[in-house]
Amino acid sequence: MSSPNPTTTCLPASGSNVHKVELPENALVLAPTRQLQSLLTIIRDEKTQRGDFVFTSDRIIRLLVEEGLNHLPVVSKKVITPTGKEYEGVAFQGRICGVSIMRAGEAMEAGLRDCCRSVRIGKDEETTQAKLFYAKLPDDISKRFVLLLDPMLATGGSCIKAIEVLLEHGVEEEKILFLNLIASPEGIQKVCTRFPKLRIITAWVDEGLDSNSYIVPGLGDFGDR
Amino acid sequence: MSSHNPDHLHPRPKLQARKSSPRSKNMVMASHGRAPWYGPDGKNVEAYVVGIAGGSASGKTSVARAILSALNYVPTVLILSQDSFYCAHTDEEIEMAFNNDLDLDHPNSIDTPLFVKCLLDLKQGKATEIPVYSFVHHQRMPEKKYIYGASVIIVEGIMALQSPELRALYDLKVFVNCDSDLMLARRIKRDTKERGRDVDGILDQYLRFVKSSYDNFVQPSSRYADIIVPGSSNQLAIELLVTHVKRQLDTRSLRFRRMLAEEGGEQSKAQARSRASTLVNENNERNVVLLEQTNQLLGIMTILRDQSTDRGEFIFHADRLSTIVVEKALTLIPCETKTVRTPLGIDYEGSATDDRLVGISILRSGGPFSHGLRRVIRDVPIGAMLIQSDPKTGEPLLLKTDLPSSVKTRETSGEVKILLLDSQMGTGAAALMAIRVLLDHGIQSTNIIFLTYLITQPAIHSVHRAFPEVKIVTASIDPELSEMHLSYDTNSLVLGETSGEADFAVRTIEESSTQERLDNLDLNQEGQEEIPDNRDGLKTEKELSADKFKVRVNETDRLKFSREHKRNQSGEKRVWVISPGMGHIGDRYYSS
Repeated sequence: MSSPNPTTTCLPASGSNVHKVELPENALVLAPTRQLQSLLTIIRDEKTQRGDFVFTSDRIIRLLVEEGLNHLPVVSKKVITPTGKEYEGVAFQGRICGVSIMRAGEAMEAGLRDCCRSVRIGKDEETTQAKLFYAKLPDDISKRFVLLLDPMLATGGSCIKAIEVLLEHGVEEEKILFLNLIASPEGIQKVCTRFPKLRIITAWVDEGLDSNSYIVPGLGDFGDR
Repeated sequence: MSSHNPDHLHPRPKLQARKSSPRSKNMVMASHGRAPWYGPDGKNVEAYVVGIAGGSASGKTSVARAILSALNYVPTVLILSQDSFYCAHTDEEIEMAFNNDLDLDHPNSIDTPLFVKCLLDLKQGKATEIPVYSFVHHQRMPEKKYIYGASVIIVEGIMALQSPELRALYDLKVFVNCDSDLMLARRIKRDTKERGRDVDGILDQYLRFVKSSYDNFVQPSSRYADIIVPGSSNQLAIELLVTHVKRQLDTRSLRFRRMLAEEGGEQSKAQARSRASTLVNENNERNVVLLEQTNQLLGIMTILRDQSTDRGEFIFHADRLSTIVVEKALTLIPCETKTVRTPLGIDYEGSATDDRLVGISILRSGGPFSHGLRRVIRDVPIGAMLIQSDPKTGEPLLLKTDLPSSVKTRETSGEVKILLLDSQMGTGAAALMAIRVLLDHGIQSTNIIFLTYLITQPAIHSVHRAFPEVKIVTASIDPELSEMHLSYDTNSLVLGETSGEADFAVRTIEESSTQERLDNLDLNQEGQEEIPDNRDGLKTEKELSADKFKVRVNETDRLKFSREHKRNQSGEKRVWVISPGMGHIGDRYYSS
């Protein structure tokens, strides 16, 4: 959970630091706690086994989803507690749909299901040239909030393509939340400038891209791992 | 348990009544549960220690057992035998021992420093590990026996009164005096029958070691005794002894949950008057971390609090909430810097969390947390404590502890970080008990984080007063405990205690005055007639009250000792309920 008042343990991150980079307003980064950094350290480590990799990335994804869900509207609701007292709470409003960009994005579906019951999940296919291969989206997607899942945001090509597909299906731009583990500053700039009303939620912003358009220091190919 | 009984090389669950074999010397007797052994300030009340010395076969063990059985209402009584503390031997000494040449009757054969350390730990209410000595191998065994939670400790052994350090730890020193002839006769009978020795060997050993040791060390130590008890026909002496011990124990009895609720209540009223912002500040100072009250969190809380939420929905959101709470708690745990290489071949300076984390859930309302914990920390060791409230006194009772080995062993427990899990905290009484258990095991209070969905301001106050360094992470703070009158047979969703369950949401508070009880009875007369109480059979209301009154006046002393005499007068009781709260989380999660 990102917190406006970071606790004392929220030290500035070492290595790559989000504060060095100017981010667009519609990009949101999780609070860089030491704990989050430890999680990223595990998934970045080339020696990490697949089981640990999956477990740890699921944890980060859950944090992302929880943060993402916070941007959905709620309405106030009164309930009666089992002790017979009234409690003034809120109820969730609006239906959501998860769309994963294949194939790395599929790895994030489990984390999404941990946080949302019976969420509809559609698919989107990509290649490096960001050409759409395959799109399987729920029929009523235009009425839903869309959580677009892709763990890595490098050049932003596939992400932009996916968003275009969603817009073609009638999804409103402000109803799209793009959830992402590690982003490059370039990718964020590109996506946010292109779609100013969309919101990006990312766990970490890395230093940049190398000549092969890989995120540096990054974590390699998410889907493969 | 006997130290030469191979059975007990495997430690068994501790808080269980054990039947001792005829030759066993160390034994633990435990009743239904352990009431608080610490004050509201969280400090331990020392255990009562009785030291019993006397010649070999003088009848020390039977005196110890007699005290034990007379104290059957005390939660845990431990008989600690000197036999466990024989020194570790060299190979030469072992050979001598097998030839009956080793003098085990000399004071030097006892590992006094270790004996003192273990007894001191136990007296202070800490967990300890006592050595295991095998008479079969004539050697101290590599394993140790974990002991925790005795309110009365009886130490017995021929040298029990020998060392001044040990004597300083006893609250009562007893010497069992017996005629030498009688002791020898008993010894021959016992050793031939139970240890398979021949009479010549026994007599030889007696003349060489036992007799001189008795004359030189054991008998002279009788001058330190407070009481000298005859070794035979000693019923009267034991009775006197037991009466004294009972009186001593009575002055140490602890009943303070009511106090917690009331004091905390005043505190919270005072705080309610002050502005919300000061409250937040106070909580920060008190090591309380409240999750950011985001829309999603409020939404989850709404679902959990709603009485019409079905079980599937409840479980899903309880798991989700516990995941969030655990994630938050982990940000409080320090990390170390660690450099790793990414698959792209680039070094990355990151960090690594402490991996000596242990989750302890307070059963059973802490159970829902363990799923969330497992989602966040892989292969985390999870221990449990079963704490329920005594339906008669309203005090928490420690029924069972099941702690991971890293917590049980003193060498490692200082470094372990504990996530203490319970879904809600009303008065804080069970939380205090759980924290006290952890501290007794050598866990540092700065290493304990309490995780919960729901806490009340009074509970924060009482935990903070006793253990200011314990951190609390909670999803919600409810302003108060409200007093409710509940009948046993209705509202079972709220009233977990009908099934002996101690949830923080519901706590019985013992009524202090007779007058107050009668008032309550009058107020609820109608309800009671509808719900006949099987405990009191067919008695009418007035008879019932009169009975109670009599019990109070005439049997005050017995009342203090015997919980059984404190009956529940009605099918109605006063409880403190977190309000608005979310009901009985354990029941709603596990569906009872």
